[in-house]
Amino acid sequence: MKPKDRCRSGRDVAPALAIACIIATVPLLTGAARGPSLQLFPTTVLEDIKETGQVAEEMESGLQDTIARLDRQQQLFVQSKCEGAADDPGCAQISRQLGSTYMEMLETMSQRLPDMERAVNSTRDSLETRLRAELGLKMTPWTLQETLLGQQPEGSPSVEPKLRGRSGLRLSQRFRQYYQLVAQSGRNTEHSLAVVASDIYLDMEEASVLIAQTREEIGRATLLEELNQSFGVITPEMQAVVDGVKSILFGEAGQVVELAGPPPGSGEVAYQSPLEW
Amino acid sequence: MRNTARSVAAIAALLTALFAVSGCATTPAPQCELSGTRDLGASIASAKSRLGDGCVAHFDRYVDQLIDVAAGDPTADNKQAFSDFLLWTSDEGLLSRRQAQETWNRYFNVKFVSLRGDYNNCAQTCPVKGRVMADMQSELADKERGLLQAALDQDSYYRADRLLKETELVLEATCRACAAGGR
Repeated sequence: MKPKDRCRSGRDVAPALAIACIIATVPLLTGAARGPSLQLFPTTVLEDIKETGQVAEEMESGLQDTIARLDRQQQLFVQSKCEGAADDPGCAQISRQLGSTYMEMLETMSQRLPDMERAVNSTRDSLETRLRAELGLKMTPWTLQETLLGQQPEGSPSVEPKLRGRSGLRLSQRFRQYYQLVAQSGRNTEHSLAVVASDIYLDMEEASVLIAQTREEIGRATLLEELNQSFGVITPEMQAVVDGVKSILFGEAGQVVELAGPPPGSGEVAYQSPLEW
Repeated sequence: MRNTARSVAAIAALLTALFAVSGCATTPAPQCELSGTRDLGASIASAKSRLGDGCVAHFDRYVDQLIDVAAGDPTADNKQAFSDFLLWTSDEGLLSRRQAQETWNRYFNVKFVSLRGDYNNCAQTCPVKGRVMADMQSELADKERGLLQAALDQDSYYRADRLLKETELVLEATCRACAAGGR
């Protein structure tokens, strides 16, 4: 669907308006409000994140049914003890269905992947540039840890990103949360933005690698199809692709990296040594 | 007769040498063991006395022992006791001001002494990222002893713990970005 067509769709008007509002608000709350201090999320990066979220949502909706069907068929294959029973007509039928659904998944992905790859790589590249410039070249190790610590007044609750590391969420939901995190970050929260920017960048790196692997797999599968070889059964390579797609798009089997949280604060004024840096 | 004289001379030389050696052994070596008290104030006084007697080479061991003593009676005041002790060592010229600062900050500050430097992260931190992270991990163990066990400062210790994890994530991303820029 072309962007113009999407705008005409009544169903998409509300989310589009919401996203437009966030996009309009975010620069005011982040970079623009803080001036030239730490520019990790300029408008170009936010535009890239927004587009990646939209493309991810389209891909998810296109793949959800197919992957669910693939899961059911695979479960049936295992429950029917079909492994090594290729001669059984019932098992042969399930195998053919599995191969066909897998091809369907690859077909859908091959249609959506170019957009997804472009959006993901663009987000990764723009964040890469900002991270290198702002945290890599402008900061020393000491200023980096000062940035991460932030300058919080004594006794005030720490402002932290609510999302860290692999989230176990759908990709589109993750981008929605990234928006919220960036949008909620006001003054004195550059430490949070540095963590969020790093988190998104590493996610994009991972997604980019998976997309490249998937495109290779699509090429391989298409070649096999052209050679009239049926799949028969889900191979480990095919399973790895399915798992990878599920992990990135739907957050399944996602490992949540929990960071230790501070205990409730005592509220006492801490001793400050003249030796303290 | 001549042989007897030679033997007497040899025995005399041997005895002289023995006296000389035993004479050296009687020179008192500095007593560098700290008193066995579990009171931090008394232990610090003992450490000051020993350092004043020339046991400066034992300084790191003293700090280690003093932290153990403080952990036996943990209180927020222990931070100041260590700060005063380290300032004294600096004022007495036993340690440089920088050494005193490094020691105090290693045990009692949220910030990591291991993550310092005057050059940018791409140039300085990224090439040795693995070592920096290992050093920070080791320093966190010292902060656990200092902040958490000796000074009961849980807030600061958990913030240091989180800072380590955030640094790991941010350096992972930043160093990849630096490397990509060099391609």
